[in-house]
Amino acid sequence: MRFPLSAFLSFLALANNVFAKSSTGDSVLVVIDSSLQKEDYSKFFGGLEERGYQLTFRGPKDTHPPVEQYGIPGFSHVILFTPETKFVVASRCERALSIVIPAYTFDITPQSLVGLLSEGTNLLVTLSTKQTPLSSLSAEFSLIPPPPGTPLVSHHPARSEPATVVPIPVPESPLLTPGTPPVWFSGVPHAFGNSPYLVPILRATSESFAADSFDDSGADTLVDASEKVGEGLWAGSQLGLVTGFQTLKNSRVVFAGGVEMFGDEYANKTLPDGAPSGNEKFVRDVTAWAFRETLALRIDNTTHHRVGEEGSPEKYTTNDQIIYTAHISAYDPETSSWKPYSGITDMQLEFTMLDPHIRIALPPVTGEPGKYQVQFRAPDRHGVFKFVVDWRRKGYSFLQTSTTVPVVPPRYDQYPRFLSAAWPYYAGAISTSIGFFLFSALWLAGDVEGKKKKGLKTE
Amino acid sequence: MPTAYPLPENVSPATVANTASLLRIIALGLISAAAIASRLFAVINFESIIHEFDPWFNYRATRVLASKGFYEFWNWFDPTAWYPLGRVVGGTIYPGLMTTSGVIYYILHALHLPVDIRNICVLLAPGFSALTAWATYMFTKEMKDDSAGLLAAAFIGIVPGYISRSVAGSYDNEAIAIFLLMFTFFSWIKALKQGSAFFGTIAALFYFYMVAAWGGYVFITNMIPLHALVLLLMGRFTSRLYVAYSSWYAIGTLASMQVPFVGFQPVRTSEHMAALGVFGLLQIVAFAQLVRAHVSSKQFQNLLFVAVVSTGVLGFFAIVGLTYKGWIAPWTGRFYSLWDTGYAKKYIPIIASVSEHQPTAWPSFFMDLHFLIWLFPAGVVMCFRALRDEHIFVIIYAAMASYFAGVMVRLMLALTPVVCVTSAVALSTLLDTYLDPTEPTVNEKAEPVNDPPSTNVPVTPKKAKKLKDKETAATARGALGDVVSSVTSAAGGSTTSPKTTKGIFGLDGRVAVLVNALGLLLFFVVHCTWVTANAYSSPSVVLASTNPDGSQHLIDDFREAYYWLRQNTAEDAVVMSWWDYGYQIAGMANRTTLVDNNTWNNTHIATVGKAMSSPEEVAYPILRKHDVNYVLVIFGGLIGYSGDDMNKFLWMVRISQGVWPDEIQEPNYFNNGEYRVDDRASPTMKECLMYKMTYYRFAQLFGGGQAIDRVRGQHMPANGPTLDYLEEAFTSENWIVRIYEVKKDDVLGRDLKVANAFGEGKKRKRTKPIARRKAIAA
Repeated sequence: MRFPLSAFLSFLALANNVFAKSSTGDSVLVVIDSSLQKEDYSKFFGGLEERGYQLTFRGPKDTHPPVEQYGIPGFSHVILFTPETKFVVASRCERALSIVIPAYTFDITPQSLVGLLSEGTNLLVTLSTKQTPLSSLSAEFSLIPPPPGTPLVSHHPARSEPATVVPIPVPESPLLTPGTPPVWFSGVPHAFGNSPYLVPILRATSESFAADSFDDSGADTLVDASEKVGEGLWAGSQLGLVTGFQTLKNSRVVFAGGVEMFGDEYANKTLPDGAPSGNEKFVRDVTAWAFRETLALRIDNTTHHRVGEEGSPEKYTTNDQIIYTAHISAYDPETSSWKPYSGITDMQLEFTMLDPHIRIALPPVTGEPGKYQVQFRAPDRHGVFKFVVDWRRKGYSFLQTSTTVPVVPPRYDQYPRFLSAAWPYYAGAISTSIGFFLFSALWLAGDVEGKKKKGLKTE
Repeated sequence: MPTAYPLPENVSPATVANTASLLRIIALGLISAAAIASRLFAVINFESIIHEFDPWFNYRATRVLASKGFYEFWNWFDPTAWYPLGRVVGGTIYPGLMTTSGVIYYILHALHLPVDIRNICVLLAPGFSALTAWATYMFTKEMKDDSAGLLAAAFIGIVPGYISRSVAGSYDNEAIAIFLLMFTFFSWIKALKQGSAFFGTIAALFYFYMVAAWGGYVFITNMIPLHALVLLLMGRFTSRLYVAYSSWYAIGTLASMQVPFVGFQPVRTSEHMAALGVFGLLQIVAFAQLVRAHVSSKQFQNLLFVAVVSTGVLGFFAIVGLTYKGWIAPWTGRFYSLWDTGYAKKYIPIIASVSEHQPTAWPSFFMDLHFLIWLFPAGVVMCFRALRDEHIFVIIYAAMASYFAGVMVRLMLALTPVVCVTSAVALSTLLDTYLDPTEPTVNEKAEPVNDPPSTNVPVTPKKAKKLKDKETAATARGALGDVVSSVTSAAGGSTTSPKTTKGIFGLDGRVAVLVNALGLLLFFVVHCTWVTANAYSSPSVVLASTNPDGSQHLIDDFREAYYWLRQNTAEDAVVMSWWDYGYQIAGMANRTTLVDNNTWNNTHIATVGKAMSSPEEVAYPILRKHDVNYVLVIFGGLIGYSGDDMNKFLWMVRISQGVWPDEIQEPNYFNNGEYRVDDRASPTMKECLMYKMTYYRFAQLFGGGQAIDRVRGQHMPANGPTLDYLEEAFTSENWIVRIYEVKKDDVLGRDLKVANAFGEGKKRKRTKPIARRKAIAA
């Protein structure tokens, strides 16, 4: 009985994959804090379910279902709606002494979340103004959280809502639908470190700042303090509100400064000018990116061969003409399938041995979707080379491939046999041969007298 | 004629000659058997395994040759060596050894004898040692006679100086090269003696074989011209010399240029210029002889003077000019280090770092040659006595080889054959003298000395124990010849043999000396056997130690680790280690290496040295750039294996200092001039990758007790080094081999040190946003 069951399960998994919205699977674990009501986010969760995701809810203290079992992640995506959940077991020592009562179970720690990312799971993390394990986790992603208790404050534009509920215009970005109206935001901003893997999605407005008081009295002291202490200014459009991060394994994580922007309340709230807010659309785009629906690319395969030959050779000879081909496809969430993608125009191919000996553009081939091809001459240098494609653009999946191939010097019979420059030597060899032949002939055919003389001499 | 002991009568000369030749054959057979047998200690004590370092490469190359054929071998580009530079193996090796094994392999398989290629490789050196014994016999026969030849063959068969490089499993170029060396010299002597172009060609062909087999062929390239030059200067120019040298040089040079690794070197490097110069000189001298036969002597002398001066000046300037223009390569560093033993240490540490290139210690002369070392000068004196052309060769050879053997341990091998030859000449002369049954006649009439060449021989005191020479008219006749002649004279009844006035009276003197000589020979055999069994038969891949109860305990860490690599790592994994272990990793683990024992690229080796002697964060980018997956270090501190990487470490520092003098400085690794690895080690030392990898978790092994590094005899601190960029992958049973895996980049793109701190749950220091707007705010 066992076999058919497992076969059935694998069939199910296969079927799920085929119809999944995301390119990496559709099981989602939502860890939601007891202070938040699932119903308040019905539009958000409903939207996800509508798009084909299977949501599993659990509280941060629950142990079932586990996030990870035996090193295998249990879900393709994890949403952490736990902006204020405080304690986490930080060290074995604390656990042994039971100093703190954990609000998270053991399987959710900053370390385990990073572990999930390296296994390919995607994360959506919500932060709050309180100092939580998640805000210290964000530091690992090169995000710099402000001091605790400092939400984003803005008095512009004039509106009836408190200063901490801010409408933010949505910028142009490849991962957002163009023309999304401004979104309501309430929560904590963050500054950016220097990690190149950050993908800022939503930035604060230039009039906003982070402050611990809701009136303006502290604003000047904030500026003064930042100058005296040398601390950067927590203000302006340099602050991020919703920021993505793509790891080297192409798994994605999104840090949102507040959980309210996902809620029904903000989705239904109209903007100061009376237009509907863009929250619903915005969070859909954000989750679509985070769960690798959009901007997900992959290299299907790469091939290389000599001009005029089929199939990849084991090795190349120096100065060979080489054709390198890569097939790239992008995930299409509409049809849940990978489709050939020819939209990359700035991809480069490197032919590397320690340093790139050749670096050339790898352009798409017109008429053949998804195919990128280039022809080049192998360098006049033998060694173990690598075809390297390393394409990293903000928001898109990183495309990385490396194929090792030796480039060898010509075989002993591949060099030119006769060189025109060597004619003096050929002439010398031939003339000496002829001379020797003539001399021998004359010597042997010579008269007896000569022989006698020679005989005398040697005596 | 009085004899000291009765000689058999009624034996026909034919019987004597036949018996003698039968005995010679039997003796040669036994010598060969002894030579082969004593080299099998390694197989019996351990197993049929390839030894040491270089043989592993030769073995691997031979396997390629045997499986893929000669042309693939010829064009072999090895992408797994010197990653990522690769190595053009076909063009950078002496293929003679592999080809020899390959030919043997193909012949045996053609005869349907399915012998494993490994066994051929293991047993090649013993097999060729038998041939060496035969070649030495032939060579020495040319010097003196058959009996000296047999002695020389016996000596070379078991002398440790040669065994050290030719035990079973020591599959190195020297294994066949010494045979080729001796046979080339034999052919040269034969060609010179007979003025034979045929033997000159044989010499050239074997010279070609030698060129294809060993870089030491340069020794022949310079020995033969030197011999010819000395003969020329001694006024011994003959047409025999001209024919022999010209045929050898012309054919030999053309043939040697067919070896890809040698290529155009014979006409373009300084090491080969002597041969070319002497060739030219011989042509000039021969031409001068021709001219002299046709013009008067007065004219000739003028002509000669002008010609000699002008050609000398022209030739000198030509060579200087060509060297200056770069057409002739100047002497290589290895050559300079032959003259100035401190040269390599100063300028090319990579040469000095090889233990084989160190100057020879005095005890090793006795260890390798035993009593031959003091028979050797006596034999050279014997050569001066006769001083025919071939003796001059031996004298030059002896002088050159003694110097070189003193400079480099490795060149002891070149000295050994000539020591055997001269010692055999000396010992055989001694035996001739004391075995000769002829008693001297008591000189009453003061009869004039009538044996032709021996004019200056001092009168030998009776019963002298000292080594004295008795010159006989026919040098080719030895003791056997004497016996034969006396037997024939006794049988024939004719008293044609001249009455000798010098000699030994009675049996007692003879017996005393002979017993002494025999005793020396016996001790020699005992010594050779002992040295072979104890010192030279270790494969160094497997180490042997002794248990408290005296039984043998094998330490097999190297193979344990190499097989671990072979079975647990990706097939294209790159392993970094110091170059000593490159060939073994390639041969046993079948993994890609960065550097190996073919030390052709100093910069690449210095790169590895830099990675080893830098702190982790400096080394990590180097490792990643070279796609290194594993790093292998050798650590002997636990069981006291002194040849470990910490002891070689200073060479790594020196070699990388040669390339990066700003980043690596040797004094930084010392604490007040002391090489320390304990808690008084210098900060640079404690930070460097080699130190960290060596002592990582070492103190934990002692469970809180005091950790002791047994090689350096120092107490290790309880808190050992930590690693952030590498992690321990494997440590062998006795901790000799430690393998570390290089971590991949952190998935979040963090520095690995930070990522590790996070993984251990350490709190990160709060960071502030970068104050981009500060200037504007102010």
